[in-house]
Amino acid sequence: MNIRGVFIEDTFAEAFTMRVARIVITGRTLRWAREAALKLTGFATSVIGCKVEAGIERELPEGETPDGRPGISVLLMTMSKDDMPKRLIERIGQTVLTCPTTACYDGLPHAPDRVGVGSALRFFGDGFQASKVIGGERFWRIPVMEGEFLVQEKFGMQKGVGGGNFLILARSAEAALEAAEAGATAMSSRPGVILPFPGGVVRSGSKVGSRRIKSMIASTNDAFCPTLRAVTTSSLPSEVNSVLEIVINGVDAEAIGAAMRAGIDAACRNGVVAITAGNYGGKLGPHHFHLRKIMGSEEKA
Amino acid sequence: MTQGLVARLKSLPAARADFSEVLATSWVGTPAGELARRRVHLDGRSSVALGDLCEVKGEPAGRIRFEGDFSRVDRLAAGLTEGEVVVDGSVGRDAGAGMAGGSLEIMGDAGSGAGGAAPEARRGMTGGELVVHGSVGSEAGRRMRRGLVVIGRDAGADAGFEMIAGSAIILGSATGEVGIWSKRGSIVALGAVKIPITYRYACTYEPAYLRVMLRRLRTRYSLPLEDRQLAGRYRRYSGDLADLGRGEILAWSAE
Repeated sequence: MNIRGVFIEDTFAEAFTMRVARIVITGRTLRWAREAALKLTGFATSVIGCKVEAGIERELPEGETPDGRPGISVLLMTMSKDDMPKRLIERIGQTVLTCPTTACYDGLPHAPDRVGVGSALRFFGDGFQASKVIGGERFWRIPVMEGEFLVQEKFGMQKGVGGGNFLILARSAEAALEAAEAGATAMSSRPGVILPFPGGVVRSGSKVGSRRIKSMIASTNDAFCPTLRAVTTSSLPSEVNSVLEIVINGVDAEAIGAAMRAGIDAACRNGVVAITAGNYGGKLGPHHFHLRKIMGSEEKA
Repeated sequence: MTQGLVARLKSLPAARADFSEVLATSWVGTPAGELARRRVHLDGRSSVALGDLCEVKGEPAGRIRFEGDFSRVDRLAAGLTEGEVVVDGSVGRDAGAGMAGGSLEIMGDAGSGAGGAAPEARRGMTGGELVVHGSVGSEAGRRMRRGLVVIGRDAGADAGFEMIAGSAIILGSATGEVGIWSKRGSIVALGAVKIPITYRYACTYEPAYLRVMLRRLRTRYSLPLEDRQLAGRYRRYSGDLADLGRGEILAWSAE
């Protein structure tokens, strides 16, 4: 299968079930909502080292937020249900509570699992906090030097999918980067997905474990490192000199599949040799995103 | 979707009618015929079936609409725990007194004691929403512990008297002082209000929760709330300092 001359390998991305929460941050202006969201989603690329994976889902216009102010929607994902409460409390507490003008709301009101967030953060109020029930939902008003921080008592949590991916195999680093930027741009702001890595792009794809150190969970994916072509069992065609990966997490497999379709299509451009995907033989993750199935079986002009 | 039950008043009762037993126990799944058999007390001396005063019809769907002039009906929806109750016109005393859940929306005025407590009760409302589009008499929200009382126009004397907690929002003017002996209650005044001497000014700010609350009320009940009230600045007074002092009056600054 080829798309505009780019070979689509007959393989699949293997993804895992994770737990996801959607955090809605509002501010007096979009700038302040974004400032909080950027801090909240900082250092959240991979559960391997960051314990969470998080990213900005999209901007929310005033009409879509509980308080009618501009907002940012963030998805935060953990590997287990038990991890979620602590991660939400520490991140919202350190990055949104501290940020001028912001308020913080649950973005998954219909999710059956509810995680106490405001109910824990309220103790920062040192006994001066107060709560209000609005439309059946409890909100906490925590006094701060600026005025009041408003945070919802409970946040919804549901199953999500993490680890959707595709790899861009290009003739040059420039071509790989341009294609990755185009792919990430096409996928960003799509409801239900986030790209947790910097700019949505990963240059250091990993394999499970290590050749030399048994305690390492992951190490460089040498089969896709162009500099190692001569000294390892390479998976790269001879004309490939740079590889970049895009990792996609989402609220469900459908959202990830739709985002991958848009991203791969945008990444198929001059200088790109092939698109492939990372998997573990299908034995670890229950979600398999077959590239050719996602892109349709017909050749594209 | 069915419109739920409708109770249409046949004629103005000759005596004051006490509706406190009509909706105080579970009713959202009760057929019209069965609801019509619930008792209504007349002037505290005799009782009749609801069906003798109102034509009750429709299918149960968690909603009931009272049609007619209920200004001589007291304690309508007192002790309500569930469902949506709408009254097309005005009601008498103690509407929604001791509510614990559900919503009571009165399109006209309400008499004294709306959302309040029975004289012998230690607590008034413990939950739910009472929205009066018109004015209310004295002692609205008396001793309320939780829940929300919204007054679309003016409030009579002593609104929020002995509030334990909960919220009372007054869109019009408040007669006399509000929130006397309040422990943790919130009173939001969008019109003229006299701050009791036992309240102390704290600051002028934009309470984030009011944006959420007022925005919801505007959408849910079509209340005439303006954007400048949702996003406005409010003077915060803490009190009642003669009691616990954890309550507040938020007075819209109209800036």
